[in-house]
Amino acid sequence: MLAIPPLSLYIHIPWCVRKCPYCDFNSHRADGAPPESSYVNALLADLERELPAVAGRTVETIFIGGGTPSLFGADAIGALLAGVRARVEVAEEAEITLEANPGTAESGKFRGFREAGVNRLSIGVQSFEPEPLRRLGRIHGREEALRAADLAREAGFDNFNLDLMFGLPEQSPDQALEDLQTAIGLGPTHLSFYQLTLEPNTLFHKYPPPLPEDDAIWAMQREGQARLAEHGYCQYEVSAYGQEGFRCRHNLNYWRFGDYLGLGAGAHGKVTDPKTGTITRTWKIKHPQHYLDAAGQPERQGGRKKVERDELPFEFLMNALRLREGFAEALFFERTGLPVEILEPKLSACLDEGWLERRNGFLRCTETGYNFLDNVLQRFLR
Amino acid sequence: MADQQHIRNFSIIAHIDHGKSTLADRFIQTCGGLSAREMSEQVLDSMDIERERGITIKAQSVTLHYKARNGETYQLNLIDTPGHVDFSYEVSRSLAACEGALLVVDAAQGVEAQSVANCYTAIEQGLEVLPVLNKIDLPSAEPERVCQEIEEIIGVPADEALRISAKTGFGVDDLLEQLVAKVPPPKGDPEAPLQALIIDSWFDNYLGVVSLVRVVNGFINRKQRITIMSTGKSHLVEKLGVFTPKPFDKEVLQTGEVGFVIAGIKDIFGAPVGDTITASDRPCKAPLPGFQQVQPRVFAGLYPVESDDYESLREALNKLHLNDAALQYEPETSQALGFGFRCGFLGMLHMEIIQERLEREYDLDLITTAPTVVYEVLKTDDTTIQIDNPSKLPPPNEIAEIREPIIEANILVPQDYLGNVITLCIEKRGVQTKMQYMGGQVSISFELPLSEVVLDFFDRLKSVSRGFASFDYEFRRFQAAPLIKLDILINGERVDALSLIVHRDISQSRGRDLVERMKDLIPRQMFEVAIQAAIGSKIIARSSVKAMRKNVLAKCYGGDITRKKKLLEKQKAGKKRMKQVGKIDIPQEAFLAVLRVNKDS
Repeated sequence: MLAIPPLSLYIHIPWCVRKCPYCDFNSHRADGAPPESSYVNALLADLERELPAVAGRTVETIFIGGGTPSLFGADAIGALLAGVRARVEVAEEAEITLEANPGTAESGKFRGFREAGVNRLSIGVQSFEPEPLRRLGRIHGREEALRAADLAREAGFDNFNLDLMFGLPEQSPDQALEDLQTAIGLGPTHLSFYQLTLEPNTLFHKYPPPLPEDDAIWAMQREGQARLAEHGYCQYEVSAYGQEGFRCRHNLNYWRFGDYLGLGAGAHGKVTDPKTGTITRTWKIKHPQHYLDAAGQPERQGGRKKVERDELPFEFLMNALRLREGFAEALFFERTGLPVEILEPKLSACLDEGWLERRNGFLRCTETGYNFLDNVLQRFLR
Repeated sequence: MADQQHIRNFSIIAHIDHGKSTLADRFIQTCGGLSAREMSEQVLDSMDIERERGITIKAQSVTLHYKARNGETYQLNLIDTPGHVDFSYEVSRSLAACEGALLVVDAAQGVEAQSVANCYTAIEQGLEVLPVLNKIDLPSAEPERVCQEIEEIIGVPADEALRISAKTGFGVDDLLEQLVAKVPPPKGDPEAPLQALIIDSWFDNYLGVVSLVRVVNGFINRKQRITIMSTGKSHLVEKLGVFTPKPFDKEVLQTGEVGFVIAGIKDIFGAPVGDTITASDRPCKAPLPGFQQVQPRVFAGLYPVESDDYESLREALNKLHLNDAALQYEPETSQALGFGFRCGFLGMLHMEIIQERLEREYDLDLITTAPTVVYEVLKTDDTTIQIDNPSKLPPPNEIAEIREPIIEANILVPQDYLGNVITLCIEKRGVQTKMQYMGGQVSISFELPLSEVVLDFFDRLKSVSRGFASFDYEFRRFQAAPLIKLDILINGERVDALSLIVHRDISQSRGRDLVERMKDLIPRQMFEVAIQAAIGSKIIARSSVKAMRKNVLAKCYGGDITRKKKLLEKQKAGKKRMKQVGKIDIPQEAFLAVLRVNKDS
């Protein structure tokens, strides 16, 4: 029997000052100021239509992502969060994250965001080196990146994440580690340390930059992980490292196959209906202007699709095996409504192969399985 | 209905691209009085029917009625011939059904070897050969030079060769007139017992076997009982008729006519190409000459990527076999690849066609092992065995001698590329037997081991001659040679499906090339993969594929899930056509690596 999982809220702000060549998220260049108030209204209308599906449930976390949400003024974010609270119950201790650019323009608003109710920042630093930053198409420089952390703390954010990439064009392992050391020195509670990958439908995919050799990237990851552990950042997901007690609750809910409403252009959601025992995925129209134009006409604003029973095990694993701790076998049943035995005989094959391990009621990847998670997952496809 | 004197049976001999189908279409249009548009519709319709029924892709013959300038109407039967060196027996049977042949030569490109071979077959069978220069409308046309080539190379007079353009229609009427005037009517005795030659047979899901026949003597009626001479079996004729090109039912096929016969025959072996049909109640004394059982020359193992597909593969082969007498198969087991089939083909093209049909029409993922020829092995106990799979070679101490098949290749090449072609043939262990200068081209013959020809000879020949050389070959004999078995080991395991038989002198370099090539073809895996080439227990070359360090998506959050899933699905699909040997994924290309060796050296 499907249990009701925790509920999160993802809100997408699709505008950026400009599009970065590696980014495959739904982001669009803002020509002039983005239409903040009409977009906030559209988001709230969007929320209202989603509400019946989650009636009586409490939102545990909110994540405002993008795009560059920090392009929006603190007032707009404040109105948005107030509007959300007016429509749905938000837990008192809810984690409310906002993605921000380290640029001066945005960091000036940090205090306002804090006052609006945001209690966690995720700052897209990516690198501290001018040349990589330029190649990545980032609009901030080293100094701004360095100051962003201080400004966040001064603004009252004792909980913030830094996004940092490795395997950048022509980057050496030493340079990557230096970047990491600088980031650690800024004392964030959380670090997303992830490899640059050339995603389809990006400029980098079309015109690949000269990336470091596999062995060099491997060295960056291995030594980076050691460095992070040394400084108390514990890896809990493929690319996520947190200080004790500061894992990202919002993302954890994704990875534990929890529910989330997706509001905004191109946002995806997942909602469990325990009465019918079904899980539905929802999505919203991607282009911001089309999304705005369709406000008030739900049938034009997006779509929804039931996840078929036979797709559930794979989708669950695709999320849960990303966690270092894996998942409790009981959770599999709670979230999919299916017994864990449904994973057989592939599960046993992966256990035999030394890709997965079973311990204290948990299933998780071995070290090999973790490094080759895509291979493990492919075993469960079809 | 035409009397015997007004029937003309003919084929078109032409190299690929020299305009055979355009000319055939033009004939249909001229004789049928259809517009170009109607005609294309009609031809297409007929193709659709055929496709739905899964018979053949195009009509094998077409019967046309041509009103000549003398006011009389002639029945023209155009019989199609396959256009590839692998199918020379089928060509010879098609030509045996004709009294004449149009030798269509591209007026710009000149004569090509395949046409020469088919033309010789036609002349040997006593056909009237009419040379025709096509594409005369091209600015690069050189009719004088090409006429000279026809006379020198083929040895038929070309002074009356018509110059036409099948594309524009120029000269086509004159050609039909010439055809009627010069090609003799069929001889045949209407009073004699029935003898009909099976030109082609194919399997239709609804009708059973459909045979295209030429009535040589006597006649054949609907509801008549006939006997297939090679099987001795008697069948009732259910349907007969001609293709116009749509099937058109008739009550009788007269002496000299060409048409189809359907007699409830269940498989293709019940009516093999080249066989003779006679009347059950009044049989002829002897079959028509020239019938042969087809002999596959090239063998390869076909294995399903997913072992669950083994039965589906068997069924698919069974179905293709119904329609293709030249395809042979029998179950075989490989240590590396599991259960599969050893299949015999006429040649590489035939193999590729079968492989493609199995994958496309039957949706099977297959691994094909490197094609090999049949070797004859004289054992120390004085027995001789035939080997169609290198891994079946007896241990060295039981082998007295290994003999390989030798063919004679007849190559036609412009003088400028002669040096390159000779170099290639010598590299392929060829021995020159003939050389003759003819106009701007040279006709040169080499005896070559068939094994060297099936590998990559055709592609190499085209590349060293910039596409100008053409060739045709015939089997000559088995001949002893210093041949040895070369094994490939992957992570120390001998992979039987990768073994091959090679000449001792090139075994070292072949081994080195092969492991290098395989290194590039085998993708990086979770561990290092060692590739070795060995002769007996001696390792002669090695290389390795470095281990992949990791394979994991860096980012995956809620919104991405569907997209990331698609990415993983795509990655997985990329692994299709890879076979797990032990724990190693080996792609199809690696099994055929031997075909790629030397290609760009």
